[in-house]
This record gives sequence, structure tokens and C-alpha cells, in this order.
Amino acid sequence: MKSAFVSSFAHSAAGRLLLSTAAFITLAAAFFLLIGRSPWEMLSLLAQAAVGDGFALTESLVRATPILLCALATALPARLGLISVGAEGQLYFGALVGTGFVLSATAVAGPLQLPSMLLAGMAGGAAWALVPTLLRTRLQINETISTLLINYVAALLVTWVVYGPWKNPASQGWPATAEFPENARLATYFDSRVHAGLWIGMAIAVVAHMILTRTRWGLGLDVLRSNPRAGVLAGLRFDRHALAVMLLGGALAGLAGIAETSTVQGRLQASFSNGAGFSGFLVAWLARNHCLRIVPMAFLVGALLAAGDGMQMLAQVPSSVTLVAQGLLFVAVLGTNGMLDRGAR
Amino acid sequence: MHLSLRHISKRFGATLANDDVSLDIPPGRVLALLGENGAGKSTLMKILYGMIRPDTGDVVIDGRPVRLPSPRAAMDLGIGMVFQRFSLIPALTVRENLALANPRTPWIVGSGARRVPGLLDRLRDIAPDVDPDARVSTLPVGQIQQVELAKVLNLETRLLILDEPSAVLSDAEAERLWSLVREIAARGIGVVLITHKLADVRACADDVAVMRRGKLVGRAEAADTDAPALLRMLVGDDTVATVSAEPVRRNALPRIWIRDVSADGPSGTIRDIDLRIAPGEVLGIAGVAGNGQDTLADACAGVTALRQGEVTVDGETLFAPRLEPRNHGRVAYLPEQPIRNAVGPDLSLAVNLSLRCLRSLPWMVDRKQMAKTAADLMERFDVRPPEPGRRAETLSGGNLQKLVAARELSGSPALVVACYPTMGLDVTASAAMYARLFAMAREGCAVLWISEDLDDLLRYAHRIAVLFRGRIAGVCDAGPASRTRIGAWMTGAEAFA
Amino acid sequence: MTAFDIVTSGFLISALRSATPLTFALVGETLTQRTGVINLGLEGQLLVGAMCAYAMTAAWGNPWLGLVAGAIAGMALSAVHAALVVGTRANQFASGLAVWMLGFGLSAYYGSSLVGRKIESFESIVPKSVADLPVLGSVIAGLTPTVVLAVLIVPVSALWLWRTRTGLRWRAVGESPEDARAAGANPSLIRIQAILLGGLLSGLGGAALSVDYTRTWAEGMSAGRGLVAVGLVIVARWNPWWTFPAALLFGGAEALSLRLQTADANVSAHLLHCLPYVASLAILTLTYVRGRVSSAPAGLRAVMDR
Repeated sequence: MKSAFVSSFAHSAAGRLLLSTAAFITLAAAFFLLIGRSPWEMLSLLAQAAVGDGFALTESLVRATPILLCALATALPARLGLISVGAEGQLYFGALVGTGFVLSATAVAGPLQLPSMLLAGMAGGAAWALVPTLLRTRLQINETISTLLINYVAALLVTWVVYGPWKNPASQGWPATAEFPENARLATYFDSRVHAGLWIGMAIAVVAHMILTRTRWGLGLDVLRSNPRAGVLAGLRFDRHALAVMLLGGALAGLAGIAETSTVQGRLQASFSNGAGFSGFLVAWLARNHCLRIVPMAFLVGALLAAGDGMQMLAQVPSSVTLVAQGLLFVAVLGTNGMLDRGAR
Repeated sequence: MHLSLRHISKRFGATLANDDVSLDIPPGRVLALLGENGAGKSTLMKILYGMIRPDTGDVVIDGRPVRLPSPRAAMDLGIGMVFQRFSLIPALTVRENLALANPRTPWIVGSGARRVPGLLDRLRDIAPDVDPDARVSTLPVGQIQQVELAKVLNLETRLLILDEPSAVLSDAEAERLWSLVREIAARGIGVVLITHKLADVRACADDVAVMRRGKLVGRAEAADTDAPALLRMLVGDDTVATVSAEPVRRNALPRIWIRDVSADGPSGTIRDIDLRIAPGEVLGIAGVAGNGQDTLADACAGVTALRQGEVTVDGETLFAPRLEPRNHGRVAYLPEQPIRNAVGPDLSLAVNLSLRCLRSLPWMVDRKQMAKTAADLMERFDVRPPEPGRRAETLSGGNLQKLVAARELSGSPALVVACYPTMGLDVTASAAMYARLFAMAREGCAVLWISEDLDDLLRYAHRIAVLFRGRIAGVCDAGPASRTRIGAWMTGAEAFA
Repeated sequence: MTAFDIVTSGFLISALRSATPLTFALVGETLTQRTGVINLGLEGQLLVGAMCAYAMTAAWGNPWLGLVAGAIAGMALSAVHAALVVGTRANQFASGLAVWMLGFGLSAYYGSSLVGRKIESFESIVPKSVADLPVLGSVIAGLTPTVVLAVLIVPVSALWLWRTRTGLRWRAVGESPEDARAAGANPSLIRIQAILLGGLLSGLGGAALSVDYTRTWAEGMSAGRGLVAVGLVIVARWNPWWTFPAALLFGGAEALSLRLQTADANVSAHLLHCLPYVASLAILTLTYVRGRVSSAPAGLRAVMDR
């Protein structure tokens, strides 16, 4: 009986989290030993750099915001069984379209400028998701590969405009667009860079969770993911659902992009995402595509990554140490879940 | 090689699959191992082939007990098995498949494995007309089985186990197989033929052993037994519920008209199918597997889009090219392999049972109501265990079949499409399934019934249509007299004459 | 500059040199995918291979040592994919991305001290005077050992796959692990071997990239080559012979974008950099439009189509 209890706990959400965390700490400790540092010291410095004071905490929240949205952008297609890694490119293209809107549409000023900019960014993200979706539904081209490939194109398009046509002549060689006007920025809080995008992301997570678990539409996604042929018997069309979840996901990633650009950075710059799209993918896997669990997981990963600069100062290691930690976290999660699922089979 | 199984027992959970079975397999003779589905004959042979380890008992070769931890070990001892599901790799050529399984294949095999010496000797003996450089996927099923046999014989096999070898063959192919089996035995190789067909026994067995419910219930020389005696051994004293098909009014307007239909499915194409089914009529579809049966079923159930033609119910078009499928519960579909084709494996039984009415559920789904409906249905159709929250993949094959029947047959369809509906069911459950299907017919439903079991088709269907290479080779009334004509159609002998 | 100039004035050799790192990765991924495993971690393996090779070459001054180190590093990282996919049966796409993230992080971490360092690298394999030969002179003169290795690895891997018992078993595992097991092969072991060989070759590709092609180290320098390789495997229809033209396609697109940049200052370099990705995606799409993916190993189709 005891072993049955242990096993059922290990397979519960909390048990999985606990085991994954243990596996991650083991791997991270091994890495710290490998680079000749005390694991305990490094882990405590990491915690200090991530959430040690008010500034670190708010910076972690800032970093977590686009990751949260990108994780939702990954989880939504995943509910249909699609493995989209396109959040990174959708984020860039959303930022590009949103910025273009602000730079060009001087007519839309005043209170409408902010919402219309956000909508433009979401439209951009959705548009960037359209190509892989159509390739998948029309030609059966694997969406993981196509989304990965066009990520680079979106990032390069942003680089192109900030070096070229949209470059702010006043920025003296620094490749960036002109600053966003004040009323095209989201509200910020706590006297920090934490902005309303965080609340929007959390609200979307709750709403998405309700829709996915309580409604007929969410049930339809479950059926199509579990067995597309059963979906046909239920009168459901895979293509339409794929289009819906991919475009909605793209819109969320686009929102992440334009919010980050307009509010945190204040202007469009090259390589501004810091891999938020990929971190979002990791978060979605951590949360097993459960929209509510994505919120704390996004904060966890955001905090881990935000600690990079702090680690450089506190521990005198390159800030990419947190990138290694992120990779180890993903490996730990996959390994733990894989082993638990394998035992269940 | 004289092989004996001594006091073999094997338990799976609550069922005793093999109960103290002892069996002698002498060299150079053909032993037919008879039994209904679930009688334990496959388990016994898997023990012999090293795939399953017995709880108690021994396998003894020439007086010495041997250990069989894996199929590899069995092969090394000269035991070979040909499964019902072939283990050749379709994308590779015949040579490549033979080279793959041959332990004496050198490291350099050459292009298309053309440089492996002696590879084709056995194949040339038993099937000289097979093209060794053809991909297996392009071969007819009879030739695939011959290649499979050659593959096993290449391993210096001294005992050959054949699992239901005639199940997938047409009559002509089966006759070729029987003479092959005789030739193999004549070389001193012992052969075990797992089957549930009396025809196999009559055609080529020396000895017969019969299993029922895990026990060996009889053993005799084939020449000394007659069919009634064997049947009694097979089913015991159980009175099997017999199903009688109802007479049908032929002058009625067709309930279903499958009109000039062509379609392409993943497992085959169908061309110019034209069939009419009257209310209350059971139309059987016979044919060797892979001649378009799955596609026909999918097309009639609206799962696969039609390329041409239409399917009408009571004169109204249900499915046609470029037409959004309109089912509205009028077509019930029991596809083969329900776990792959009819249910969401990781979804609850409740969700699976409400699949057909998913789109008419309220926007906010009432899970409690759903579970209640599901519990009622499962009680009516005897699905066990009746827990609406359980995941479908945890059910046994027979209960899954019943689950799908509960969903599909509980409404009032005009057409029932049933593919191999009794696969995986035991004798009693099969009878119950047939009873249910024919009850639907009595209520005026048209039934399209796809089966590989010609005996059952001839016994229960009103008419039988034969599919050959995606086309209807012929249609005739069911009855013992039609057997030869159907056999000829199945093999294409007079397909388009 | 005329079209003729583009070809003669070193275009061919720059396409070839650009295709070299990709060829290694592409051949490796082709062999891996033949056993039914897709490895997106290729990108990370390229990076780790490039970083280790560069560090080794910088430390010892011998580029050959760099190649060896890069190959070993790529193989070591691919062992993570093998452990996750074969060991714990994790999702192949997710595992590949995890390996990519890890490889990116590790190479950035250990490579941070290498940024800006100079190395001594390979010379051309022929004397300088060859360059004066007409037409192909510049091509032959531009050949370095890694280019030659890449050209050689293609027929070797093709013979390995099509003409040996090992290759036959690998293909069998990619088609149907169960049937391959029934025929006496060990699918798990074979998949591990194939992933590790893919890792070794992609590490070699990374080494060729940093030590010979760019002769610098920069964070994330593989810039999607590994992911392009995963797509081009499909274009090459899982056939080693076709990997080389597929790699040349990418190399050609990259060389063309560099050419056009120098030729015409009006076209943005950043826009031109999109060319290899767009070309890869376009040719991939074309492959599917023409229905040429039916040659995919059945085990792999199960992974990719779900």
C-alpha cells in the first residue's frame, strides 16, 4: 500500500514538480562542482540575484512577462497536439507590426493609440503563425520544423528595419527606432519596469484555463489531440481548430513582443527577446500545458534568467551561467516526466 | 527434434490462460492446434517461442529441459514462428528482409543485399515466382507469407509455428499454403498450425489438439476425427446462442444508396462502388484484407471524403465531394481497432460516449450530466468496469468494442457500418454483438457488415458483395451455394469477366 | 558584375565552404533520422563542437586537434538526447530543444573567454600556384581539409547505409522497431548509436564552422544551421547522396547573399541573410507539394505527423 501511495504522489502534479526540482538541483550542483564552485554558495547566490531584494524581484517579474505570454502561445497549440516553437518569431513580428503601426499611424493618437497598437502587435504575431499553420494543414509539413525556421526570418526582419529604414537618425549609430510616445506605453508599477502586460498575461491564463477545461470548444481540442479520427466522428474539423489555436497563440506572442518593445525597451531593437519564445516553450512543458500552472512556472524561469546579470556581479561568472541552468532545468523536467510516464505504461 | 511441453501453466491477472497443459510435438508431422479466441493457444505458442515465460512447467527438447528467455534463444534452438501479423518490413526488399533476419549475413551486403550468398535458396524452393528485389509492400499477401516462411526456414528451423496462417488468405492461396506445409513436414520439420478453421485441419494436419479455456481438452489423429466431434471439443457443452437473420423485403426502396462512389484512403482506394441496401437488410462485404474495405467503411461513415459519387439515406444526400458531412446520428460506425479509429485513448469513457453529440452539447459542458448519461449507457451495453471517469485505453479490447457499440447503436441510425465487429470478443460476446446488429436490422436499419470470416457472412448476411482491388467484383445472395463464386471473386479469377 | 563573374570569382568555392559545416550536420542527422529519431539538438551540438574546437585550436595551435575535440563534444552533448529519448522516452522535439538550450548555454558560458581570440587554421591543401589555373583554379585552391572531408563523408555514409548489414539494421529500426527486434536487432542500442554518430558528425560540422569557415568564435554562431539541416534532411529524402546538393543549396544561398552585399550596397545585408532560411523553407515546401516525402522512414513519420 505504501508503495502505491508513493507512486501516486510521484505522478501527481506536486510530486512531479518536487522530483523535477530535485533532479534540476542535482544537475545544477554537478555543473557548479564541474566549474569548481560550491553548489550551495552558487545556488544561494542565484536565489539572491533572482529575488534577493525589491529590484531583483521586479526585474524577475519583468523578465517573466513575455515568457508567460509565450508559454501560453505554446500551450494553446499543444492542447491540439501541435508542437509550435514559433513564439520567438511571432514575438518579433508582432513587435515589428506594432512598432510600424505606431511609427506610421500618427492619426490614431490619444487614448486609442495604446489599444490599437496592442491589437496591431497581436495581428502581426497571428500573421506570422499563419504560414506554418497552413503548411501543416494543407501539406502536412511538420509545424515544429517550419516554426523554427521562420523564427530566424522574423528576427532578421527586425534587425533589418532597425539598421535600415526605421532607424532613428537621432540615436547616433545605435540601431533602434525612435522612442515610443508616452501614450503608446503600458502602465508601469512599483516604481519599476513591471508593466500591465503582466496582469494581462495572468488574466489571459485564467480565461484560457476556463475555456480549455470547461467549454465544448476545449473538449473538442482534447478529442482532436487524443485521436483526430475520433474528432472526425464528433464532426470536428482539425484544420479549423489548428488555425484557431495557432493564430490565438501567435497573437499572444505578438502581444508579448509589442508590450516588451513599447514599454520595457521603449523602442524597437535587434535581438530584444533574449530567447523569451524558447523559454516560454520550456515553461509550457514545465506546466504540462496547464494554463494556471504556467503562471508560477513563468515566474520561476523568468527569475532564473533575470539572475544572470546579478550572478556576474555576485559570483564573477559569465551571465550565461543561467542559460546553462535553463538548459539543465529542461533536461531535468523531461527526464523526470519521461521516467514517470514510462513507469505508468 | 522432438519437443514436449510439460505441465505448462500461465496466469494473467484473474484469468488462467494455460492450465497444466502438456503437449508432444513430434518431428515431421503437422499438428493443428485448435481453439476459439481466448482458448489459450496463442499464449502456449508464445511460451514456446520465448516471448512469454510460464509460471510453472517446462519445455523439453529431446528429453532435456531448455530455457527460453527470448525469441532469439528459441530461434537458436531451431524454433521458428510466423505470426498472423507479418514481421517483414514493407519498405525493404525481399532480399533485404531475408538478409536482416539471417545470422550468417556478412557485414558487406551490397546494394539491395544482393551480395549475401545462399540467401534465396529456401525462397526459390517454396516460392520461385517471388521477385527478390521487389519491395515487400508491393507483394500480394500470399507471397508475403511465403517470404515470411522462407525467412524462418533460413534459420535452420526444425520446428515451425504458424499462427492462423490461412486467416488472411484467399481460398487459392490457402491451398498453396497447405501443400507447402505438407512439403515442409515431409523434410522432417515439425509444424504447429494454430487455427480455428476446420478446413485447415482437413487439408493438411496429421494430428489435432484442441484447447478450451486454457486447458488441453482433446488430442487425436486427424484421420480419426470428424467435424462434429471436433466442434464438440471446441465449444464444449456450452449452448452457443445462435442468431437467425430475418427475411428481408426486397421490393422496398433502398434505405441506403452508395451511388457510384470513389474515394482514396490511407489504406487503399475504392472505385465506382454502387450498392443499395434495403431497410432491414444485412449486406456483407467479403474480400481479402487490404482490398479497400477500410476505405469503403470510412467513406460510408463520412470519415473519408468522397472523390466521386454520393451516399444517400432515404433519398437524401449525406456525403458527397465538397459537401460538409451531415451525419445527425443517421450513420452508426463500428470501425476495426476501436482504440485507433473510434475513441480518444487518454480521454474518459464519459467523453468518449458523448463523442457523437459533442457539437450539440451546451457551450459550458455539464460534466455531471455527461457522467450520468455515460453510466446509463454502460449499464445497458455491459461495459466493464462502468466508471465514467476511467480512461478508455485502460479497457480491454472486448469492452472497448462494447463501448463503441454503446455509443453508436444507442441512437436510431438508418445505416450501421460494422467492420469486424466481433474481433477480440469471445464466443458469448460475439453472439451478443451479432444479436444487437441484427436487432438493429429488424428495426428497419440497413447494415453494411465487413468481415473476413466467410462462414459467418454466409450464415448471417442477406447478400454478400465482394471487394477486389477497390472494386465490387460481384454481388450475390448469401447461402452455402455461393461459396465457390465468392471465392473466385475474392481472388480476382473472374473479377471483370 | 555579371552572372558569369558570380560563378567564376570564387562563388562556387564560397558556396562549397559555406556548405561544409552543414554537410557534416546533415549527413549525421540523416543517419539519425533513418533510425526513426529526430534530433533538433543538432543546433546545440554544432555550437558546442564549434566552441570546443576553437578553444582547442587556440590552446594547442593545431586545427586537427580542434576537429577531434569538436567531434567529441558534439557526441557528448548528443548523449543527453539519447538518454532522454531512448532512456526515458521523452518527446523527441522537446528533448532536442532542451539539448539545444543546454548546448547554447554551455558554449556561451565556456566560450565567453574565446571571443576575439585569433587562431592558426588550415591552409589550402594545394600550392598557391594552382589558383592561376583557368576556370576551376580558384575552386581547387580554396579547398581546405574540412571541405574535402565533407565531400568524402557523403559517399562513405551512403555506402554505410545502403551496402552494410549495420546500415540495413539501422534502416529496419527506422521503419519498424518491433519487426527489427524480431529479426534480431536491438532497436534501443541502434538508436543510441545513431544519435551519437549524428552528434559526432554535427560536432565535426561545428568544428569546421569555427576553425575553418569563419575562423572566429561568437555566441550562437551556428545561427540556425542545425535547424536548417533538420529541414534539409526531408528535402534530401533521407538519402545521404542527396545531402550534398541540399547542403550546397544552403551554401549557395549564403554565398549569394554575401556576394550581393559586396556587389550592391543598396540591398540590406540583414535582409539578404534571410535568404538561406527562406530558400530552405521554400524548397522544403516544394518537396511536400511534389509529394516526395513518402520515402520517410515509417517510424519517423509516426513522430512527425503524429
